[in-house]
Amino acid sequence: MARSKGLDFQIDKLTNSIENTTTGEVFDTEIVRLSAANKSQIRKSDWQFNWHLELGDSSKEVFKLTTQNNPTIIQGLMSIEDKDDHIFMHLIESSKFNKGRDKVYFGVPGNLVAFACKISMERGYEGFLAFDAKTVLIKHYHATHFRGKRMFIETTAANRLISSYFKP
Amino acid sequence: MGLIREPKNIDLSTKSEEWTEKELLDFRKLMKEIKAKNAKRKSRSVKPQRKKVSA
Repeated sequence: MARSKGLDFQIDKLTNSIENTTTGEVFDTEIVRLSAANKSQIRKSDWQFNWHLELGDSSKEVFKLTTQNNPTIIQGLMSIEDKDDHIFMHLIESSKFNKGRDKVYFGVPGNLVAFACKISMERGYEGFLAFDAKTVLIKHYHATHFRGKRMFIETTAANRLISSYFKP
Repeated sequence: MGLIREPKNIDLSTKSEEWTEKELLDFRKLMKEIKAKNAKRKSRSVKPQRKKVSA
């Protein structure tokens, strides 16, 4: 996709996968952009962060991750902003059934982070993605520590993530 | 295609705070350096190899 912003944004769906933590079964997934008109898809009480606020902010783009078989059940959400030379990730959250020891699927945050890197590549930012993170999980995404909680993913790590998650 | 299996007891749920002007400035500087380094590496790797021509 060519570098694009605003109304001419072309990414609608991309296919990748998540894995059931118990059975090992792999499910193809879709990442779809949500707009303010889709607020009813997100029940506030089901989420830690206020996603309705994100949907109402025109500077941000909110994406949902679902399985292809069940596009109504949201596995995870992400809010990003185009900073003209990199992508900034404001929020990322797995659904409550994908958190903790009893999580249903592996790979929800990885899918979304890889997708953000993919957008960064497609917009000519060479995969750069900036965000804050406090968990040790960050090493799984090959992120670089900047300072304090500030992290970023650069080109090599972004390429690695994209090739891990997206079918050629 | 691979898949990153994050540990069961660890979740990535993150709310980023806005980076300060100073942080953004420093980050952009660093990003520029990394991009320049990558471009240099890329141009070095695509250099065509010269064939030896015997007289």
